[in-house]
Amino acid sequence: MSAVQPRIEVRDLVVKYGDATAVDGIGFDIAPGELVTLLGPSGCGKTTTLRSIAGLENPSSGTIRLNGQTVWSNTERRNVPTEKRGVSMVFQSYAIWPHMTVFENVAYGLRVRKAPQSEVASNVTRVLEMVQMHGYADRPSSNLSGGQQQRVAVARAIAFSPNVLLFDEPLSNLDAKLRAEMRVELRELQRRLDITSVYVTHDQEEALAISDRVIVMSKGKIEQIGSPEEIYNRPASLFVADFVGAANMIAGTVKGPSQDGNLLFETAGGVTLEIEPPHHGRGGNTVALRSSYIHLAPTLGAHNKIAGTIHRRMFHGDFIQYVVDSPAGQLIVRRPPTESYAEGSSVDVSFLPTHCILL
Amino acid sequence: MRSQGIEKWIAPLLLLFCGVLVLYPLVYLVTESLNIGDAQTFPPEEMGIGNYTELFEEPKVIFNTLWVAGFATVLAVTFGFIQAWILTRTAIPGRARLERLMQLPYYMTPLIGALSWGVLLGPKTGLVNQVWRSLGFTSDFFNIYSPWGIAWVMALFEGTVAFVMISASMKSMDPSLEESSRVLGASKLRTALRITLPMVAPGVLSATIFVFAEMLGSFAAAFVLGIPGRFFVVTTSIWEATLSFPPDYGRAAAMGLSLSGAMVLTLGAAKFIMRKGSYATISGKAFRPRPMEIGPMRWMLMAIAWGYIIVSVMLPLMALTLTSFERFATVIVSQMQFTFDNYQTAMAMGSLAPAFANSLTLGVVVATLGVPTIGVLAWIIYRSRMPARGAMEFLIMVPQAVPRLVFGLGLLWAWINIPIPIYGTLWLLGIAYFTVFMPLGLRTIAGVVMQVDKSLEECARVCGAAWTYQMRTITLPLLRPGLIAAWLLIFIASVRELGVSVFLMGPNSKVVAPAIVNSWLSSSSELSAAMALMQTAMVFIAVAVLFRVARRVGGDVV
Repeated sequence: MSAVQPRIEVRDLVVKYGDATAVDGIGFDIAPGELVTLLGPSGCGKTTTLRSIAGLENPSSGTIRLNGQTVWSNTERRNVPTEKRGVSMVFQSYAIWPHMTVFENVAYGLRVRKAPQSEVASNVTRVLEMVQMHGYADRPSSNLSGGQQQRVAVARAIAFSPNVLLFDEPLSNLDAKLRAEMRVELRELQRRLDITSVYVTHDQEEALAISDRVIVMSKGKIEQIGSPEEIYNRPASLFVADFVGAANMIAGTVKGPSQDGNLLFETAGGVTLEIEPPHHGRGGNTVALRSSYIHLAPTLGAHNKIAGTIHRRMFHGDFIQYVVDSPAGQLIVRRPPTESYAEGSSVDVSFLPTHCILL
Repeated sequence: MRSQGIEKWIAPLLLLFCGVLVLYPLVYLVTESLNIGDAQTFPPEEMGIGNYTELFEEPKVIFNTLWVAGFATVLAVTFGFIQAWILTRTAIPGRARLERLMQLPYYMTPLIGALSWGVLLGPKTGLVNQVWRSLGFTSDFFNIYSPWGIAWVMALFEGTVAFVMISASMKSMDPSLEESSRVLGASKLRTALRITLPMVAPGVLSATIFVFAEMLGSFAAAFVLGIPGRFFVVTTSIWEATLSFPPDYGRAAAMGLSLSGAMVLTLGAAKFIMRKGSYATISGKAFRPRPMEIGPMRWMLMAIAWGYIIVSVMLPLMALTLTSFERFATVIVSQMQFTFDNYQTAMAMGSLAPAFANSLTLGVVVATLGVPTIGVLAWIIYRSRMPARGAMEFLIMVPQAVPRLVFGLGLLWAWINIPIPIYGTLWLLGIAYFTVFMPLGLRTIAGVVMQVDKSLEECARVCGAAWTYQMRTITLPLLRPGLIAAWLLIFIASVRELGVSVFLMGPNSKVVAPAIVNSWLSSSSELSAAMALMQTAMVFIAVAVLFRVARRVGGDVV
C-alpha cells in the first residue's frame, strides 16, 4: 500500500458524545478501488466512524484525509463540510425523498452540481439501468418496495460519480433472500465502477462475503484488520474469534513444545491437544476452534483425535449442527448434510493443529 | 461550516427574543404580586407577601373553583371515556367519521358553548325553558347560570380533550396482550378487569388530572355564566380585582401566580403518572385493537356517540342560528319574527365591524410571522446540536403553564410601565398572541420535524447540497404540511382568543371574542348570537382547510 496514495486515511480518530466515547483512537488506510468493511456489534463505533468520514459527525480529535487532502483535523482546525468532500453514502433507512419521483431522487446530486439537462438525463438513465430500475424513473418514490428503495438509493449514490462510496448497513432492512441477492449485486457494481467503498455492517457473513478487507471493531477500538480469510482463520482476539463465525472456546494451559514444532495444550478437562504456535505473538489460555473445521470421522494427518458422543443433532439444511460431548468439553460441530449421525452415536472427533488458535 | 456560523448567531438571538417575550411579563407579575403598597406605582414602594395571605382569608372562591372544576372533570372524563371506548373498541357503523367529528367540540370553544347554552337554558328566556314553561311547569327546567351550568359547558368542551388522551392510551395497547389472556383461558370479563383496565388506567388517570388542571385556569364559561349570578371562581375574581376601583393588581397577580403554581403542580403530576404507570402500552406504535362485535347493542352505542356530538356542537349551533335570525329569541312558532337585523347591526355597529377586521388581521399576521420564527426554533431545538436547546424549549413552553388570563394581566402591567406607547394598540395584542401561541406552534411543528427522518437531510448534504439548498429542496417541502397546519392552528387560536385580549384590548383595538362577551353582558342575546356565529364560521372554515391538509398528508396533525 506504500506505493499508492491511500484514498482514505483515518488517524487517531476519537469521537465523544458528552462523556461517552464512541470511537476511541482508531486509524486505518483504504486503497483506491478497495472495499473495506467496518464490522462489529451495535454500539462499537462503526457507524460513527463512517459518519465522521462523511462529515456528518464532528470528531473530538484525530485526522481524516480523502485523496491526500485533510478534510478533518482538530490540530489544523480543518473541517470540510459534508457537501464539499466528494463522498457519497447509502443510508440504512435509504433516505429516499418521498416528495420526489425516482428520477428526481437520482438526479439530485447532478443537479446540485449544475450538470446540463442532457447529462442529467443520460446519467440517471445509465445508473437506473445499472440497478435494474430503468422502468421506474417517473414513479413517485413514496410507494416503492424495500428492495426497490434500496436500488434507488444506490443509484442516487453513484449517479454523480463520487470518489468514495459509504454504505451504512444498507441491507439490514431487507429480508434474508433479497439481502443475499443484493450482496452479490453490490459487490458486482463496486468492482465494475472500481469505486473505493467503506461498508458498515454487523452481519459477519455479509462482511466476509463482500469485502477486500475487514476491520473488526469493538467498544470504539479496532480488534483486527485483515482479509476475510485472515479474520476467519487467524482471529487476533477472543472477541474476533467469537464474533466472526462459529467457534468453540476451549480453556486450558500451554505445557510446552511438541516434537514437530507445535505446542502442547492441556485442556481443563485433562486432554492434551497439539496446536500451532500463536501468530499474533501473545498466547493466552484459550484455544478457539471453528465448528466447521472439526471432523467427526477419522481423518488423515489430524494430530488431535478425541472420542465423542453426539448429544444433539440439528438439521439446518445447508449443514448439520451437532453438539458433541467429549473429554475436551461440549463441542459445536458443523458438518455437511451428507455426514449424518444419529443422536447418541459414538464419533471420532478430529481436527488439525493449524485450526487451533491460541488466544 | 457556514451553517454553523449562522446557527451560532441565530440561536442566542432567538433565545434572547423569546426570553424577553416570555419572562418580561412574568417578572412584572411576580413583582406586582409582592406589592403591598400603592398598587398603581411601579416599582413597588412596599413589598411583602400580604397579597398571598389575603387569598386564604376568603376561601369561598377557592372552594368554588375546586368544586366546579372537580365536577366538570368527572363529567368530562366520563364523556371522554365512553366516547373513547365506543370509538376504539366497538364495531359501530360510521366509526371513522365519528372519530373525525370528535374534534369539533374542541373548536366550539367554551365561550361559544357558554353563549349557546345561555340561549338554550337561560332562566325564563332560554329556549328549552320556554318550552318547559309552555308545557305548564312554573319553574325553569334548568338554570344554566349556576355552578352546575358552568361545569356542564366546560365538561362538553374538555370532553374531547379527555377523549383524545384516553383513546390514545386505548389505541396504543397491543391487542396481543388481551389475546394472550384469552388464550391462557381467561373469560372476556376477567380479561377486561385484569388486563384491559390496568393497562388503560394510567391513561385515564393522567387525562383526569390534565383536564382538571385546564379547568382550574378556564375563564370563558365562568365569565359568561357566573358573573350575572355573582358566582366567582379564581379566574373571574382575578378579572374582578382588576376592575375594582382602584384596580387591585397586586391581589390579582398573587391570585394568578398561585393559580399557575397549582396548575404546574397538577400537570407535573399528570406527566409523572403517565410516565410511571404506562407499562409497555406506550411503544409509540399505534395498534388498532380488534373491535368487539356487539350485535344489536351497536345502534344504542352509536346513538350515544352521536349524542355527544349533537349536544356539544349541533344543538348549540342550531340554537345560536335560530336566535341570530330572530327579533326576539323564542321557539314558540306563533311568536317567531325572523330578521337579518342582527347581522346588519353586527356589521354596522361602530365598534364591531372593526373588531372582526382586527381579529382577522391579527390572526393572519401572527400566524404568518409566527410560523417561520417557530419553525426555525423547532428545527434548532429538535435537529441541531446547539447548546441550550433544552432551555429554549422550556422557555417557549412556559406560557402553556400560565393561564391566558394571568399572562394577559402580566402583559398589561408590563407594557403600561414601558415608555413605548403600544398599550391599547394592535401591536401589543399581536405580541401577546405570538407569546401565548408559541407553545401551540412549537408542538405542532415539532411533531412534523421529528417525523422527518434525519437521514433525509443528511443525504442531501452527502449528495453535495449546501445547507440553504438542502433547506429549500428537502427540508421545507417535507415540512410544508406541518407548517400549514401550524399556520391554521395559530390563526384559529388568534381569532377566538379571549383571556389575553380582555386585558389588552383598547378602544381602538377591539377584537371579536371580548366584543361578543361585552355585547352579551350589555345588550341583546340575539345580536351576540349573530356575532358568535360569524366568529364560529371563521374558525370552522379554517378547521375545514386544516382537515383537508391533514387528510392529504395522511397524518394526524391536530
